[in-house]
Amino acid sequence: MTDQAHTGETGTNKRQSYWEGVARDGQKMGFWFILPTFLLLLFIVIFPFFMQLYLSVTWWTPLEGIPWYSAWEVFSWFDNYLTLATDPRLWGALWRTALIMIVAVPAQFFLGMALAYLFIDQFPGRKLFYSILLTPMMIVPAVVGLMFFLLFQGTGPVNAHLGLPADFSWLTDVNRAMISVIIADIWQWTPLMFLILLAGMLGVPSDQLLAARLLGGSNWQNFVKIILPRMKTVIIIALVLRAVECFKIFDLIYIMTKGGPGVQTETISVFLYKQTFGDLEWSYVAAIGLTILIVLSVIAAKGLAYMARKQG
Amino acid sequence: MKPSPGALALKYLFILLACAVVLYPLLWMVTMAFKPYPEWTTVAGLTWLPQAPTWQNFEFVFYGHAEGLVVSLDRTITGPLIASLVTSICGTALAVVSGTLASYAVVRFGLAQSLPLSVLQLRLFPPLAVMIPVMVMWAFIGAVDTWWGLSLIYGIVTLPFAFWLMKTFFEEVPVEIEDAARVSGCSYWRVFYRITLPIVKPGLATCALFVFILNWSDYLLALMLTQKEWVTLPVYMATLTSAMGGQMYGMKAALGVIAAIPPVVFGLMIQKHLVRGLTFGALKQ
Repeated sequence: MTDQAHTGETGTNKRQSYWEGVARDGQKMGFWFILPTFLLLLFIVIFPFFMQLYLSVTWWTPLEGIPWYSAWEVFSWFDNYLTLATDPRLWGALWRTALIMIVAVPAQFFLGMALAYLFIDQFPGRKLFYSILLTPMMIVPAVVGLMFFLLFQGTGPVNAHLGLPADFSWLTDVNRAMISVIIADIWQWTPLMFLILLAGMLGVPSDQLLAARLLGGSNWQNFVKIILPRMKTVIIIALVLRAVECFKIFDLIYIMTKGGPGVQTETISVFLYKQTFGDLEWSYVAAIGLTILIVLSVIAAKGLAYMARKQG
Repeated sequence: MKPSPGALALKYLFILLACAVVLYPLLWMVTMAFKPYPEWTTVAGLTWLPQAPTWQNFEFVFYGHAEGLVVSLDRTITGPLIASLVTSICGTALAVVSGTLASYAVVRFGLAQSLPLSVLQLRLFPPLAVMIPVMVMWAFIGAVDTWWGLSLIYGIVTLPFAFWLMKTFFEEVPVEIEDAARVSGCSYWRVFYRITLPIVKPGLATCALFVFILNWSDYLLALMLTQKEWVTLPVYMATLTSAMGGQMYGMKAALGVIAAIPPVVFGLMIQKHLVRGLTFGALKQ
């Protein structure tokens, strides 16, 4: 016993000293390995950040022929920031983005959870159904936009199936445009929830589940008492992922409605796109973008700190 | 514990219903791609399967004209298809190569421990919030509407996925194998190249396919950073209507089908690893 421990110890010692001796080469190679990623990050984070900060305190637009580095000629202090604080269109867009998140993400979550629960056991045809149910999230979002654009046409199959007249419009109707967009988002991303939640559910130790079943727990009891508590991390991951992606939503909406009718489906991304290419107010967009960046960073830092505290 | 027949029937009913909901929009687009003009709308009655199946829509997008159609197209699918392929592949190569190297250094040599989180931050922000400086920079270095300009941004935005995915694959390689090779005199580079890389080869393939799907699926970045020469498939598909005035449902559906095929095929191929990829390696199946 002692002998064994002894040899084990010297073995480790030997290995450590060996590694120390050559570690310098490793560090050197590691440096070269990290370099490309580091340069890419530098290129996309540091420089653009300062440029965005710089442009956001000017009235610069690509229209007037002033090169971006001379933007100080139209220095405007914090006018862009003052404008964004009271811009009803911006706040409206933010509210609509939040609305889509509030409706779509929970819907995806509950549907995904229900589907995952059905797939927890083996049954004939499981693999085939599983593959079919995953398809939507693999389809290019722009194509999903096209698919629902086709479906919701006045002369499309939805109206025909529901027995509605061809002039019953979805995408150009003030209220139904938003509903159509949300349906499309739910259709595409429920599978993602399903996939992640199922993976989490299958990670619940099956002997615990079996024991609970044998002890006579009802399905609902088992679900709430055994499965759910053990899926907490997975649920958080799934919800955070979807919420973050939902906040960015653009492709689907821009192809289905272009943010219309009017601004009825204009989310924050669609709004920024229109400001960038329609109105060419680049310094204003830079100011909004920077504000979003800072707010999201603070939220992310707080969230991470909270998670770390919970785990620690 | 066998579920009762009633419960089983109910279960199948729900699953079949879900499948029907999934297939409904898909089927409409796919059949639309094979329908001639009169069947595009439900004006003449709703038909699920094409009554007179035709290749005309595909012919039209590939050749710019088709028999029986008065309109013609000045720009066929060829350019966008090549653009999509070239930029997705180059972007994937950039992301996978730099992500693989960096994650190996982080996992094996314990370097740059803050890198994983800073890389992850790239995925947090809406692209449009950070796009102004990118567009100014791209214009400044002449990268707008070039294959390398688009590939560069693709490589950067998918880098987090490649990095995190490869990180989890490297973490699964037992360090003892590498130690053994080191002790028998292999240099670090040889250990990495000859031992570790072959072990993670399946992971590398998964990672590449996954990143390719993401790049291929992009619409927004191509919309902003290309104008004509390097417009990609989704952008081309979306602009088809506005250029033609009338609604080219059938042609758009044909384009949609073509754009949708590669990700679905690749996605099914790497189905086992999708969870890992989508959750940045936090979850494994």
